[in-house]
Amino acid sequence: MLQPELARLLAGGQVLLKSCDEDCPSGDTHELRQREADEGNPFNYTPQLIHLHKDHQLFEDGDIHRHMYLQDLYISEADDKTTLSVSEFACHISGCSAVFSTLEEYEHHYNSLHRHVCCSCRRSLPSARLLDIHIQEWHDSLFNILAQRQDMYQCLVEGCGQKFRTSKQRKDHLIRLHKYPPDFRFDKTKKDRGTRETKRQLQHKDAAMEVVDDVCESEGVCEVMCDVLSDQPERGESMETHVSRDDEAARMAESASAEEHAGLSAAAHSAGNTGTEPPKPRYSYRLVFKEVCCKPLDVFRLFLAQYCCTQRGHVVPFIRCF
Amino acid sequence: MWRLNKVRHKAGRLGGSLEEFKLKKREHEKALRQARRDRQLVSKRLLLNEDEDQPEVNMDTASGEQVRQIGPEREAHLKALSKALHDPTAQLTFIKQENSMHLLVGLLTGSNASCRLQAVRCLHELSHSSHANVAPACLPATPYLLTYLSGQSTKFTELCLYTLGNLCPESDAVKEKLLAQGIIPALASCIENQRHNLAVVEAVGFTLSQLLQAKDAAAKIIPLVLASSLPSHLLSVLTPDPKFGLAPAIECAWCLHYLTCSMEDNRVLLAQGALLKCSCLLVSLGAAVAEGNKEDGMELLICPLLRCMGNLLSSCPVENLSTEVGDIHVVVALCALLQAYLQSQPALARESAWVLNNLTAHSSALCSALLTLNLVPGLIQLLPFSQGINTMILRVLANIAHKKKEFCVQLAHLGLLSALYATLKMADQEMVTLSMDVLFMLVVSGPQVAEEFVKQGGLLLIEAIQYNSEGEIRRRATYLLEHHLVDVESAVF
Repeated sequence: MLQPELARLLAGGQVLLKSCDEDCPSGDTHELRQREADEGNPFNYTPQLIHLHKDHQLFEDGDIHRHMYLQDLYISEADDKTTLSVSEFACHISGCSAVFSTLEEYEHHYNSLHRHVCCSCRRSLPSARLLDIHIQEWHDSLFNILAQRQDMYQCLVEGCGQKFRTSKQRKDHLIRLHKYPPDFRFDKTKKDRGTRETKRQLQHKDAAMEVVDDVCESEGVCEVMCDVLSDQPERGESMETHVSRDDEAARMAESASAEEHAGLSAAAHSAGNTGTEPPKPRYSYRLVFKEVCCKPLDVFRLFLAQYCCTQRGHVVPFIRCF
Repeated sequence: MWRLNKVRHKAGRLGGSLEEFKLKKREHEKALRQARRDRQLVSKRLLLNEDEDQPEVNMDTASGEQVRQIGPEREAHLKALSKALHDPTAQLTFIKQENSMHLLVGLLTGSNASCRLQAVRCLHELSHSSHANVAPACLPATPYLLTYLSGQSTKFTELCLYTLGNLCPESDAVKEKLLAQGIIPALASCIENQRHNLAVVEAVGFTLSQLLQAKDAAAKIIPLVLASSLPSHLLSVLTPDPKFGLAPAIECAWCLHYLTCSMEDNRVLLAQGALLKCSCLLVSLGAAVAEGNKEDGMELLICPLLRCMGNLLSSCPVENLSTEVGDIHVVVALCALLQAYLQSQPALARESAWVLNNLTAHSSALCSALLTLNLVPGLIQLLPFSQGINTMILRVLANIAHKKKEFCVQLAHLGLLSALYATLKMADQEMVTLSMDVLFMLVVSGPQVAEEFVKQGGLLLIEAIQYNSEGEIRRRATYLLEHHLVDVESAVF
């Protein structure tokens, strides 16, 4: 609101504050919250009167200004530089500590690194479509079965629509027709994930993510995580049992202590779903964290192994990886 | 007297550029900040003689030898001495002389009025010293200085007051002595008798503020002050005199601040109408600022008024809020101050937001006023600013949301929901937690808000928050998703 409008309001004469019936600490949302409080509602905002003592931090600047005046060192504000600052943004994903000065930078970071992540192998793909294709080709056994009989490997270029019998054929198509580079980062075949030696080379060449179970073995990180991950390729998965949060939650409940169940709740996510029915198919684009057994440091090391482009232990800002 | 103009002329006259002055100021500021951290923030004031040039230091003069001789030149010698005592070395020389203080006190209480004036000038110079031995040397004079407060001579009384004010922070022993000698009743009757003499009123305010800043003021000094007539006089001086300037009001406002922040229970001051007075004043100051009449030094008065109001509100029972606050336009004034001082004095903006929080915490009427007077969009625009500004503003908005579901719907329409998309991603975890709390209140207020949120991609946002590094925030995100957004999702998509 512009100042002139405020000036007009203030010039308009006194309007006395009337005492209201509702002038009490509880509003009508109070009853709703009372009910919800029984259900473990973590929201507990209550308006608070804040009393500040003489030496409070909030009073520092004003006190300094006052004493400068007493000591004849007053400078009018026209001569002084502003000390106003704008909030920074930060990626609060557990294990990520990136900080940004603008919202755009944050969004770019999040969308590039955390948005389209495969739950199974932690690989980050740049788009929903490529993630879909990745999940289909890497983690879906039904795909393998069907691929023996029909052309299943889609061209990665959106709108092309062509399908191929093998990934090599698709790759040739991409290079020949669409002029793609032969080492396109987002068209790794499953055979490409391999030994640690290969992994290091790859890390230098590009930012391709390594399968986490390698990391787990080398880093000795989370046992539970390893179990979960190594489970998936072996299990006979149908399209529908692509990992939903509920399955993971169920597994977690067996191995983890109840109070650490921070990000994964066993409650049914889909509306009206009871425990007995199979969960609705959901492509989880989200990063799933087993922070139950992992300390933040371990998770961070995981990220390092996946994202870092240089020697171990040396942290490189994520943006540079691409 | 209103010293700001004088200070600026002085800076110019000294020949140094504004840049040098600014550099000196910045260094000094650092020293003051450290002193505050050490709880040692203390200032003394020196009353300059307006038409005097820089004094020449003459060691003979400084020794006070000439003054010992009785005769018509004595007054002239005293004048020269007071000028000489401006120099720190001269001060030390003087007090080292045997019986020098005794002599000065004798002159202070003598029959020659001009000599008294010059003598008190000398004492004033000495009191201003930061050297550990110099100011305490003035103590023998204090009973007389206090006695003279009931006199009628303006200049003389002023000098007595500033001298006493400079001596107050010296030590606990000094304060105890002054209290025992009756400084508080003396100040009370002085301000009462001289209330039309604003220069003296300013000086009383300064001296009292020096007493009230003491570390243990709450235990000994404040109860005595509250029991006296000083609070009502302080309140009556708060409205600035347009001709004289802001200075007396500034001093009295700071006294009131030291009184209100030390006590958890401010019933005495509330009963005297302190909150109403501060509220009315802030309305008129806010109006002046909104019209573009931002006077230099106004923030020196606004700051303590805000603090008084904030702390008085925290001990005001909600039932009495309407009588104590008076005009609802005080929220307009606070918003005007917030915007006007945001760039130049962000701390003042933060303190204004704090007062808004205390006003809106338990009052539905004031929350409603913020909405009906169309002040909310302006507040939402302040959410990008850090250093405690956005957290306090978000609290104000949360206070509004907490009152009624209708308020939540209005807040969502006015853009708060969109603003939360940004605040939920801020680096400050307190902002994220508060944003989650506000989002919850908005979403549960009604299906329209929840649907709007989901339509704008809110689900992805909350799902990301489920992986926040803070457990409390993760719990909130999960709870919100499962209990309030899951049904909406299937309805919308």
